[in-house]
Amino acid sequence: MIFFTPEKARKDFPILQKGIIYFDNACMSLKPIQVINKINEYYNEYPACLGRSNHQLARRLKEEIETAREIIRKFINAKDSSEIIITRNTTEGINLIANSLGLKEGNEIIITDKEHNSNLIPWLKLKKAGIKLKICESNRDNTFNIENLKKLISQNTKLVSIVHVSNLDGVQNPIDEIIKLSHAHKIPVLIDAAQSIPHREIDVRKLDVDFLAFSGHKMLGPTGTGILYGKKEHLEKMEQFLVGGETVIDSTYESYIPEELPAKFEAGLQDYTGIIGLGEACKYLESIGMKNIQNQETKLNQIITEGLKNEHNIQIIGPIEPEKRSGIFSFNIKGMEAHHISLILDKTKKIMTRSGAHCVHSWFNKHNLKGSVRASLYFYNTEEEAKIFVEEVKKIARMIL
Amino acid sequence: MVLCWIALPIFAILGIFSARYRRLTRDSFECLFKTMTFRKCQTGLDDKFKSDITATVMKFSPRTAGFVYKNYKLLSWIFLILLVWSTYYTSIGVYNYIQYGNCNGPDSTGFCIFDPLGENSQISTCSTEDLGINSTSLNHPQVESNDPIIGNLNAELTIIEFGCYTCPYTKKAEPVIKEVLDYYKGRVNLQFKDFPLQNHNLSYETTLAANCANEQDKYEKYHNELFKNQEVLTEQMLYNLANSLKLDVVKFTSCITNETYKDEIESDREQGISALVPGTPTFFINGNKIVGPKPFKTFKTIIDGELK
Repeated sequence: MIFFTPEKARKDFPILQKGIIYFDNACMSLKPIQVINKINEYYNEYPACLGRSNHQLARRLKEEIETAREIIRKFINAKDSSEIIITRNTTEGINLIANSLGLKEGNEIIITDKEHNSNLIPWLKLKKAGIKLKICESNRDNTFNIENLKKLISQNTKLVSIVHVSNLDGVQNPIDEIIKLSHAHKIPVLIDAAQSIPHREIDVRKLDVDFLAFSGHKMLGPTGTGILYGKKEHLEKMEQFLVGGETVIDSTYESYIPEELPAKFEAGLQDYTGIIGLGEACKYLESIGMKNIQNQETKLNQIITEGLKNEHNIQIIGPIEPEKRSGIFSFNIKGMEAHHISLILDKTKKIMTRSGAHCVHSWFNKHNLKGSVRASLYFYNTEEEAKIFVEEVKKIARMIL
Repeated sequence: MVLCWIALPIFAILGIFSARYRRLTRDSFECLFKTMTFRKCQTGLDDKFKSDITATVMKFSPRTAGFVYKNYKLLSWIFLILLVWSTYYTSIGVYNYIQYGNCNGPDSTGFCIFDPLGENSQISTCSTEDLGINSTSLNHPQVESNDPIIGNLNAELTIIEFGCYTCPYTKKAEPVIKEVLDYYKGRVNLQFKDFPLQNHNLSYETTLAANCANEQDKYEKYHNELFKNQEVLTEQMLYNLANSLKLDVVKFTSCITNETYKDEIESDREQGISALVPGTPTFFINGNKIVGPKPFKTFKTIIDGELK
């Protein structure tokens, strides 16, 4: 969109006509009418099975799914559409890697101390099998510390699995630097891009990343959809994760021949509406322009940060500079519980935020905090909404003084 | 936790009509149970209450909202104690209303929300002070053969009424008494004891006249006529009524002139004072006292209990 304005984009989101201020985009983005219509299109026009039947409805569906996969490939600039594995979400993508990479006792995995549970628990589970998990500590302001990573890398390191943009505070990790460093040690890198891909351009070939996992529901797509990108050479070598329908070419009572990519990793009947809806969401994001999205979020975060940073009893999580926190403003008010602040915002001005540990319990436990309130912005949020939020949070913070 | 106590019965009642409240009832119960067993309430219901209340108050006064938020626990306890206290008194009030027709008990004239006009609780304007009563003993009056009976003479139960013919409240009770006597079809009768009020014009004279009519077996009819004409009574009318009821007027006049029943009237009045009659009408049904013109159901509740 050459002349992007949030007001123009808002017209595509029916829910926004209800007078809400939706600041919970890091959890779930809203859906534009184009995506909703695309989902309905499947049920209205080609509600068939894929890869099993050969009638005209099934053929139409095949075309739509292939088109969607191709749109997604282009969206992240993957080399081949067979590198696009459809999953249910980021968590499933990371689990797939954890279970298919062929890790053995003594192998080491490196993650940061700010990982979402989806990039912590799958690795913790492998501890039983003798796989060691190393935590890369962040700087005091929650930014990434590359020196700590250097210290952690060893000859046993089999994977560096790092979040791109933290859902906790919006801090972006220097993944290009991390990838270069890891590759210098011949270590593949998995990037959790759940919080970055909806907000900025990602080029997997330019980054030279080995694996990239993300979810559809945070990027205007349907719920229960996700993508795992993997370099073909890695994916081909990897063991299958979930097996069964559609994952084999042939089978006997004794053995089976695995399918080619990407079907090798896509077991059972897929969420067709989700896939075509996600394809449509990528198209929509491209039409808005990722630069416009990023600029709008930064502008809003500046308004919010400037408005609230001088309030004595407001504690911002992460660096104070808004440009380092993407579209996320995570905070606490001294003397109040995060859940209460969030509920009050909802009740007084219909401002929807998230409160709690945001699935990063490990970080909150380490810092002895119960949680925080998180306002996460997107391109359809306006300056006026940001100002209302500032005034309301100020009012709450001052009432408790 | 405190508000979960309050919410539980409210949601339980609303839950009869809506599934949404059944879930909230479960949440309230779980919250309460966990807190009582020293565990954290996981339902978030308490948090929601606290936030909702703070947010609502914040719309009017952020400063007050801050106070509410900071002192939420203390305020909740105060609210709970007030609730328990008011529930206790409401229950008593409801019981009294059902039992006596007045929230505040049988002898009260206090305001009752179920009877805002106070129709059930009004008593004679004549107070014990007016009567010069200072007795502290309570002697229940007895049925006496020298006082007239209205209704079946052989009834199982007698209502004793201390009344005054010039008292508007005594008049107001008359139709209820008729209804009671009709309803129990001879099982209940009424003995009217004289309780003339010193500051009511013709009070003593009408009482005397009724006793004189009783002498000629026309008590009930004369009694009814006195109440029927209460607002327009004159001394002359007492004789006119006797005449219209075909009483021996000479005998009647002599009875009045000689104050034949002065002692009898005084005796009744003494009984009333001794029984701590606060005003007219006051009814005694065995050990039960009813003050003022109460509704039929008040009498029925007591009489049914006595007739069992």
